[in-house]
Amino acid sequence: MSTDITAVAVPVPMDRRRRWLWPADVPVSVLIAGMVLVVMAACALLPGLVAPQDPALINPTESLLRPGGAHLLGTDQLGRDVLSRVVHGAGTALSGPLIIATATIVLSLALSLVAGYFGGWVDAIVGRGVDLLYSLPPLIVAMVLVGVFGGGYWLAIGVLIVLNIPQNVRIMRAAVIERRGLPYIEAAETLGVSPLRIMVGHLLPNIAPVVAACFFLRFTYGIVDLSSLSFLGLGVPPGSSDWGRMLAENRVQIFENAWASIAPGVALVLTAVSANFVGDWLYEHFERKGRTR
Amino acid sequence: MDITGGLHVRGLNVTAGEPPAAVAIASGITFDVRPGEAIAIVGESGSGKSLTAKAVLDLLPGNLRAGGEIVYGDHDLGQLPARERRRLLGRELALVMQDPFTMLNPVERVGAQITEPLEDEHGRRLDRARRRQEAEQRLREVGITDPAVVERYPFELSGGMRQRVGIACAIAQRPHLLIADEPTTALDVTTPHEILELLGGLRRTRDMALVLITHDLRVAFSVCDRVYVMYAGSVVEAAPAGELSAAPRHPYSLGLLLADPPVDRRVERLVGILGSVPVPGGRPTGCPFAPRCTFAQPACVSALPELVEIAPGHATRCRRIDEIGDELARRRREQAASAVIAPADVAPAPLVAASGVRKVFAARGRHGLPTVALDGVDVHVGEGESVGLVGESGSGKTTLGRIFVGLEHASAGSVAIDGVEVAGRRLTRADREAVRRTVQMAFQDPYSSLNPARTVGATIAEAVRLAGNDADLERKVTALLERVGLPAHYARRRPAELSGGERQRVAIARSLARGPRLVVCDEVVSALDVSVQAQILNLLRDLREELGLAYLFITHDLAVVRQVTDRVYVLCRGEVVEEGPTARVLDDPLHEYTQRLVASVPGATEPVPLLEDLGLT
Repeated sequence: MSTDITAVAVPVPMDRRRRWLWPADVPVSVLIAGMVLVVMAACALLPGLVAPQDPALINPTESLLRPGGAHLLGTDQLGRDVLSRVVHGAGTALSGPLIIATATIVLSLALSLVAGYFGGWVDAIVGRGVDLLYSLPPLIVAMVLVGVFGGGYWLAIGVLIVLNIPQNVRIMRAAVIERRGLPYIEAAETLGVSPLRIMVGHLLPNIAPVVAACFFLRFTYGIVDLSSLSFLGLGVPPGSSDWGRMLAENRVQIFENAWASIAPGVALVLTAVSANFVGDWLYEHFERKGRTR
Repeated sequence: MDITGGLHVRGLNVTAGEPPAAVAIASGITFDVRPGEAIAIVGESGSGKSLTAKAVLDLLPGNLRAGGEIVYGDHDLGQLPARERRRLLGRELALVMQDPFTMLNPVERVGAQITEPLEDEHGRRLDRARRRQEAEQRLREVGITDPAVVERYPFELSGGMRQRVGIACAIAQRPHLLIADEPTTALDVTTPHEILELLGGLRRTRDMALVLITHDLRVAFSVCDRVYVMYAGSVVEAAPAGELSAAPRHPYSLGLLLADPPVDRRVERLVGILGSVPVPGGRPTGCPFAPRCTFAQPACVSALPELVEIAPGHATRCRRIDEIGDELARRRREQAASAVIAPADVAPAPLVAASGVRKVFAARGRHGLPTVALDGVDVHVGEGESVGLVGESGSGKTTLGRIFVGLEHASAGSVAIDGVEVAGRRLTRADREAVRRTVQMAFQDPYSSLNPARTVGATIAEAVRLAGNDADLERKVTALLERVGLPAHYARRRPAELSGGERQRVAIARSLARGPRLVVCDEVVSALDVSVQAQILNLLRDLREELGLAYLFITHDLAVVRQVTDRVYVLCRGEVVEEGPTARVLDDPLHEYTQRLVASVPGATEPVPLLEDLGLT
């Protein structure tokens, strides 16, 4: 009658670790989107290697050439090579949104963890502050401020960072609160784990999918927001090879060389859509992995 | 329609996914229900019992497919067009679901939900007065005599009332077969009994066939004539209820019977079943129970045995039954007659004590009233003592446990943890540390009590580190894992890779890491399958013996309380209504509420029938 019971080892599939590194079930769309992002990143990091010419080289004799020959995408009004300018534009197109997304997410995450974990008056203060910010439309405030105080690229980025906090706090705080009352958090409390460690060590890994999703969404919006600003002539200085700016400068010559305005537009859309695809898939993937049953 | 034939299921298969990679959830299920008969399909979680019922009703989720023969009356349901088959639902075949909190529409009045499908002789909707009258009558049939309930919304009713309304909805169109899927599992302690009596009564008065899906053999025996025991997707034994209880003819059935803790006495050791239920897709070839079976032989693993009739109406899927049948019966008799173990009679020094504790939760919303969870409760637990805290949900038992570990703070009264007063004052860091060293908690739900993002090793190591000794971390984690019966390599696993019982072992190991003298066990076994529950209860008893632990055992299950506690407090609406040695309180309850609790355990009053009683020897 007294046979003791010890747990029997259940074999775990051995390929679990490998699959984490390279998941076998990546859909083709995500694979393509990922490759687009890699290409864009290469352009941003080493434009000199990819671009056939100097993007700022003005050559009035070759202005408004149609695609072909030495200029794969033709030239603009000043005779600058469109392809080279698109390649060089990747730098500002990616770095700005990256900064915005990273900074916004870090700030929002800190606020969400503190507000969601402690609750009470801390939550109330953060909540009302966020509500206040929510009432300001980011792009319009950025336009006004940059317009009034002069074309500060960094001012635009700063405004977009701060004004994008509310949406992220709403989402991430809800995710924190959802897990805050779960027994594993309470167990950590009864063991005497410090609040900071609970927030960073226990809550953060469990809301990581949400954070990743927010990051990519912010990144996508950042691309569009910043390009909108430079399209309107705000933000980046004139002459720089920014996609939004190129769209604005070259749309007048759309009948001479349509590619000069189509190419930066396509690059914009491709990058934004690809980031969205990858972000969406990452969220789903981690969410599935993190599920306990 | 001719329904004299009842329901006959032959070789029913349920599979998930598309053919090449299809995973069998249930295979070769065969059972019969004659009109007016009650059968039970009993199995642990993952046995495929609920999906079998859903397959019969054509309610399978989209990614599952059913095959096989389902004959109802003179219809082969599989051949019937979907429209016709749907017409049978409610009229001929009806379903009562498990969760009374989600099966009713929260924004519709009870009366409307019951009368929704009703039509008059011409197939038209009933008029207002008739609907009201019908609704009241249907509610009376399920034991709700207050006509005002018709006008209520589901959230205004208790769980038991909702389950009654659910049954009223199911039988509104006078079906001839009612399938009840775990109808009592989500209910509070005292209500399952009433619901089972209601179902049994309806079956007799309506001559309605009943299929009861349950994990609890006691529930099955109390209502049903015949029981089908399912394991890992197949029926392993089918027998008349009395015969199964007295003389199980499959090792798994015996295991289930032995693992179920008796409510009427304390046994020396519960007999769990080794390991845990295999998941669909990971099931062994051959007899699915072979890896956990103490009688298994190499031949058992080679092929799935057939379901063989060994006596009229009694079939088993065990190929060795001729050799081991007598041994199974002997073990069953042995347990039924096993000695009563008297708990130690000691009066140890108090370790934690609550006196006059009140806990009031602030009102929710502007118009809500504050909730009094505890109202002047005196509870104390001595050094090395195991104390039960019994009551229905809402009785305040969990709140009290949480106050002891510092997750809640008492509104009034005194709570002393090893001499440290923790109520009504700000605690210093040293006080909090002292409390944590003394009391730790193990939680109910094994699925959410472990951080899914951390490995088991990291979870336990963190707790060990907080106890203040960083040296030799790995060895200490291994020692804790082994103490709760898990191999050392489990430290690398994540909770998602563990079964419910294994997770609960890890949670217990974590609570032991700080070397507490009292562990508050909040319903630690209530989410587990019965075979695993027995393992955990044994583990808790062993730990107590080895470490001299004290327990505050919070539970609604009187059989569990009987097995692990010396003394028990009965809580009702925030007040202690009775306390005393466990055996005395359960055998001879003084307070009316305790008497109701004790009486509500299914089959508590009926002793295990012996073979002689059935005239089978």
